[in-house]
Amino acid sequence: MNLCDIKDGGHFMIIGLRARGEIRRRLVDMGIIRGACGTVLREALLKDPIELQLKGFKVSVRRSEARQILVEEIK
Amino acid sequence: MRLSSDNKARTNTKLPALENKGKIRIALAGNPNSGKTSIFNALTGESQHVGNYPGVTVEKKVGKIERDGRFIEIIDLPGTYSLTAFSIEEIVTRDFVLREKPDIIIDIIDSTNLERNLYLCLQFQELGVPIVGALNMTDEAIRNGILIDEYQLGIILGIPFVKTIGSRGKGVDELLQAALNLADGVIEPSTRKLNYGLELESQISSLISVLRTDQEFVSRYPLHWMAIKLLENDTDAVDRIKRRHQNSQAVLDAAEKSRLWVSRHFGEDPEVVVSEQRYAYIHGACKEVVKIDSSSSRIDYTESIDRIILNKYLGLIIFLGIMFLIYHITFSVGNPISGMIDYFFSLVNDLITHSLSEGILRDFLTEAIISGVGGVLVFFPIVILLFLGLSFLEDTGYMARAAFVMDKFMHIFGLHGRSFIPMMISTGCAVPGVMSARTLVNPKDRVLTILVSPLMMCGAKTPVIAMLASAFFAHRAGIVFWSIWFLGWVVALIIAKIFRLTYYRGEASPFVMELPPYRVPTLRGVLTHVWEKSWTYVKKAGTFILAASIVIWFFLYFPRPQKQIDDYHRRVMSLKQTYEVQASHSKNSEERTRLRLDYQHQLTEMENKLATEKLRHSYGGRLGNFIEPVFKPCGFDWRMDIALIAGFAAKEVIISTMGIVYGIGTMHDDEIPDLHGTATLKEKLRNDPMYNARNVLALMIFILLYVPCIATLAVVKKELGKWKYPIFLAGYTLVIAWLMATLIYQFSAILPIGG
Repeated sequence: MNLCDIKDGGHFMIIGLRARGEIRRRLVDMGIIRGACGTVLREALLKDPIELQLKGFKVSVRRSEARQILVEEIK
Repeated sequence: MRLSSDNKARTNTKLPALENKGKIRIALAGNPNSGKTSIFNALTGESQHVGNYPGVTVEKKVGKIERDGRFIEIIDLPGTYSLTAFSIEEIVTRDFVLREKPDIIIDIIDSTNLERNLYLCLQFQELGVPIVGALNMTDEAIRNGILIDEYQLGIILGIPFVKTIGSRGKGVDELLQAALNLADGVIEPSTRKLNYGLELESQISSLISVLRTDQEFVSRYPLHWMAIKLLENDTDAVDRIKRRHQNSQAVLDAAEKSRLWVSRHFGEDPEVVVSEQRYAYIHGACKEVVKIDSSSSRIDYTESIDRIILNKYLGLIIFLGIMFLIYHITFSVGNPISGMIDYFFSLVNDLITHSLSEGILRDFLTEAIISGVGGVLVFFPIVILLFLGLSFLEDTGYMARAAFVMDKFMHIFGLHGRSFIPMMISTGCAVPGVMSARTLVNPKDRVLTILVSPLMMCGAKTPVIAMLASAFFAHRAGIVFWSIWFLGWVVALIIAKIFRLTYYRGEASPFVMELPPYRVPTLRGVLTHVWEKSWTYVKKAGTFILAASIVIWFFLYFPRPQKQIDDYHRRVMSLKQTYEVQASHSKNSEERTRLRLDYQHQLTEMENKLATEKLRHSYGGRLGNFIEPVFKPCGFDWRMDIALIAGFAAKEVIISTMGIVYGIGTMHDDEIPDLHGTATLKEKLRNDPMYNARNVLALMIFILLYVPCIATLAVVKKELGKWKYPIFLAGYTLVIAWLMATLIYQFSAILPIGG
């Protein structure tokens, strides 16, 4: 499952990245890597982008990017 | 004072060793939103100099201070998250450290977000420059229950850390002292380095042994760093190997082999593995030195505010409300001030007109120089006010939220959430609009936004289009005006989409954007931003605007119709003589008044006729005649063409030029609000058989879309650094304007419109 499958308020752990190139580089540099945990906070009016809470900071990603982040849901 | 400085000079000459030790260069680095600016301000005080890094438009701020008689230069590096080769900021930062080798790097770290900030810090350490870490925003971290043992952290990572609160200037002295101690060797620079774990380190050492085969290369680059960059397949590093390393092929082969091994071993690409290892190392260190005080009941203010501000529906309303407020305040406060500046320059003009005799020099001073300088400065209050608002929003952390709210909509047209603000500001004035595009990090997004923003209806186009609308569309003037206003947006968005699908096609740029915690901006920080932006505008764009207005003046002034001018003077003389004779013979005062008014009226008429003649005779006027066939399909005649040519200088000039072309006098810019002047012009236009609702509609659309004013072009050049951008902008807008105007003119024949 990918990050888009997590509902608002849901918790997740990242298990892999499908992104390539610059997008992957940016994600990885921001600490969006395997093992990182976080929460989906909300989505914008047109359902895109979404906001994530990660350890120590908040970040927003487009759905197209979120789809490339593979996660596991944490209950 | 004098004595002490003399003393210092003497010591320096006597002890050359001291002189060497005297100058220290410190580079200031850190993540965006880590409070770097406030530390820079606290360190350097008033002594800042803003420039650019060579070859790019990334801003470079340098401060020079003296401490204990030694000279310290502090260079502010761009805020970055990492040191890859993907963004200009990161390349600039990396190049600066590699090439200029600063004595010390001070890395500003947001203590509330320690792990991610250390990620950058440790990459600097790999570059082999002694580094001091500033654990900034300590107060906020304590409030959040994050307790950091900076001493222990320093030992683990091999970096001295100092706790600071940049916004209040706390700890900044100690920070500088730590940097100086490290530079002087009072603190021994540690040789500790990030450890990538056994498997990666073995690959790194085998790469280092291949890199060592070139002695010169060894002296130029830190090898451990280079080996890691090769593992990451960093384009810039590979390029450096190709250009600089003797055995480049052997190195690249070895790198390829190592990369393969790492991919197989870790089941992930080496660049990801490298980053993961970095984070793992940092995580391990932080576990030992950071205590989370969970007992204190903390409220996450940022999240509480976001719940409202980023609410699905409220978010948009709040955003539009804030934008409206900033826009309204800027232009309602700024326009009167601009008016005053304009008025001041018209006073100066009057003064010169009265104190100099008629001639080219006087015309040059009043029409070219003074109006050129005035043309630069009228934007000044608006630029200042707008950036006051925008810097405030930026420093609170709201701007990223605005981008979040608007992103999907803008992305439909191939733009970024942050593109909305420059475009909206351009509906007031494209000059600050283009400047505000600086918040767009990705160069493609930024260029695209800047290229379409000037299509908006701006404050200078407004009076021209409003005048034309009210002259030809009577009670429908309002709806016509707003339709054209709206058309600006539609065309801009469509053009953006077209550019994105053609020239700017390619891999999508990452959106991934940090939403920083809300913070109370400091007055000093906001004012610094405002001052930098406004001052660079005056300095960089100002000189160009002035030069261009002189060129345009020349174009519309020369050559002069000498015969007509002589003729005019002769006729004025004879008119004056006739008047004086008549006046001296007249009996009562009533008749004298009538004579005087009559005389003045005739004089004005002749003056106006001459002005028209002069304009027609000038290069610009001839060009207008010459290009008439080109704009025939839009329904324009040569007189409109001349007015449009003059509009290159500034759009509001179109009205005054039309005034001259139609022989109703040389209205100055400040006379535009004068109802009488525009009323006569409207009357003239309406009675002219050449004008009708069809070609006026085409004309309005043409004015909306065609070549931006020189001030905008100057700012585009300044912001994007290359001439090709303003040239392309001028070219494509001209084509679009022509196409749209022709389309409207040709097709409106079958549409039921009219005045």
